[in-house]
Amino acid sequence: MMPITIHHFLAVAAILFTIGVFGIFLNRKNIIVILMSIELILLSVNINFVAFGAQLGDLTGQVFTLFVLTVAAAEAAIGLAILVVYFRNRNTIAVDDINMMKG
Amino acid sequence: MSSELIQTYFPVFVFLLLAIGMSGVMIGLSFLLAKQKPDAEKLSPYECGFDPFSDARHKFDVRFYLVSILFIIFDLEIAFLFPWAVSLGAIGMFGFWSMMVFLGVLTIGFIYEWRKGALEWE
Amino acid sequence: MEMTSLYPVASEIFLACAGMLLLLWGATAGEKSTGAITVATGIAFIIAIFMAGHYETAKAVVMGGHVGSNAYVLFIKVLLLLSALASLVLSQHFLKSSKLSRPEYPVLVLFATLGMMLMVSAESLLGLYMGLELQSLTLYVLAAFRRDNAKSSESGLKYFVLGALASGLLLYGISLIYGGSGTILFGMLHEVVTADKPPVELVLGFVFILAAMAFKISAVPFHMWTPDVYEGAPTPVTAFFAAAPKLAGIALLIKLLYGPFHGLLAQSTPIILVLSVASMTLGAFAAIAQSNIKRMMAYSSIGHVGFALVGLVAGGQEGVQATLLYLLIYLPMTLGAFGIILSLRRDGVYLEQISDLAGLSKTRPALAAIMTVFMFSMMGIPPLAGFFSKFYVFLAVVEARYVWLAVLGVCLSVVGAYYYLRIIKIMYFDKQMEGFQRVPGWGVASLLGVTVLFILTLAVKPDWALSITHDAAKALIG
Repeated sequence: MMPITIHHFLAVAAILFTIGVFGIFLNRKNIIVILMSIELILLSVNINFVAFGAQLGDLTGQVFTLFVLTVAAAEAAIGLAILVVYFRNRNTIAVDDINMMKG
Repeated sequence: MSSELIQTYFPVFVFLLLAIGMSGVMIGLSFLLAKQKPDAEKLSPYECGFDPFSDARHKFDVRFYLVSILFIIFDLEIAFLFPWAVSLGAIGMFGFWSMMVFLGVLTIGFIYEWRKGALEWE
Repeated sequence: MEMTSLYPVASEIFLACAGMLLLLWGATAGEKSTGAITVATGIAFIIAIFMAGHYETAKAVVMGGHVGSNAYVLFIKVLLLLSALASLVLSQHFLKSSKLSRPEYPVLVLFATLGMMLMVSAESLLGLYMGLELQSLTLYVLAAFRRDNAKSSESGLKYFVLGALASGLLLYGISLIYGGSGTILFGMLHEVVTADKPPVELVLGFVFILAAMAFKISAVPFHMWTPDVYEGAPTPVTAFFAAAPKLAGIALLIKLLYGPFHGLLAQSTPIILVLSVASMTLGAFAAIAQSNIKRMMAYSSIGHVGFALVGLVAGGQEGVQATLLYLLIYLPMTLGAFGIILSLRRDGVYLEQISDLAGLSKTRPALAAIMTVFMFSMMGIPPLAGFFSKFYVFLAVVEARYVWLAVLGVCLSVVGAYYYLRIIKIMYFDKQMEGFQRVPGWGVASLLGVTVLFILTLAVKPDWALSITHDAAKALIG
């Protein structure tokens, strides 16, 4: 049995982070998916913090995680609120339709 | 050994008794005091006012968003309250009042959304 | 815990309390209270300036090492409060005539300013993150403040998505730095970074943070959101975006480079150099093709960020001083230019196209003259303040032996002069359209007066500007 070390946690976090970033850029369908990608990025950061905190035997990482969780909730709330406003104006939330301004 | 075991798990046992007792009292009281009007609709599964057996991918009222957004914000204060409650003995009065300030700030947000009518469905 | 230990953040605590009270007031009294709440917010800003000047002069780190004060932070905070106050003054008439007059507006501006102040006074990565998020979240809402307008909500959405991505990058960087060093406090980070060989996670994390900061100050190649957000947001919000967050972002970048990550300064200078050159170039060339004046101002602000970063490439106390001086002059210049944009009305409609300016010199000669001063100053024409600021960054960079960068910068200013001159040409020589309305209210008028006076007189009496920026830079580096 291979023991699970900090590197495994970091690898998972890095993969999640990359999926999140690519989710934002490659996604051509729906803005909700972008919001989910942002959550994924913040989640990967949380995994990093907890893993590092556990390795260092330090509580700062966990405390930081709590703060990130809270801010992520506020961010999601504001994102959804802006999305609702946008939907009321445009009647669509497709990524391809965000094109009123160009240049 | 057994006495030590009992000592260790005694608080859990007390909690268990309390939980069973309280839920028993609640169910019992509603059984005794409330009016009973059985109806087929009450037993049917429901989903926030939707037809339970239909396509899940249709649009639904934006007001559900509002409720869930507000819920998330206030739900997360638990994440702060829990470690605070566990370590209250160690952090002293300063820790206690810090949390009170935090809850005060949260209350101001609550009053704001209340006054703005965000909690009303209509 | 004694009350005196909260003195270094007295102005922030005051603003937070004032903001919450004003929010409650607005929620209880409704929309008719907007005027009174705006005035109260302005007064709160002024009180905060005095509190900062009175309590926050000493160098101190408080609240478990997460926030602190020193002369540099004080300088930035006062500038932030002043530009927030100015943008509040600018917004009044626009909001009323666009039916946007809601009590939330001044409160949001207040909380955004509070976030920026916390961000620059942060002494740990946690404090930095919380301040930055308070700023960003309120700015997203402000961009989408015109709820019934598709452009405004689209700009809010774009700003949100890209801003959240930047916050994600920042956080990932912070987590790596925490893992590499075991601390998030600036003081302790400084020791770890200046050690012989900083851990690789730390260097990687700092690169992530640099990218996120470039996003926030809209330096190329992280500028994509800027033109769209500037165009879509309500004009007073755009004025606010162009002033305060830029200052806060660059100030924070300087603080990171010369505080906790001083040991990585040599490695990060090339990154700043690339950001600076790319921003100057794009700002100069892309602005030429614009027909919307807010979009043009967006590219202009990108260019100005590039010029400000030139001072950081030079580095050292002189370089930082040059950057601070650049920002000190950039703020009134931009706010003044937006004051002009917010004065251009025809039949109650606010104008946004550059071609709408035609014939301004005939109907409103004073406005045209003031706009000319701002445009010449942004170009960097000698007797005006804008020349002075460009001169100092180029001087600093020449002394740091980057002569080619100074030459390139001067060339790009010449390219950039084209679109500023075009505005002057349209105002003075193009065929007159219907007349413009009067400047809306004494607020905008007095702001225009103050900023134009600042720009005209700074070159004559530059000593005080040099001395305050010198003190601020010295407090950080000396």
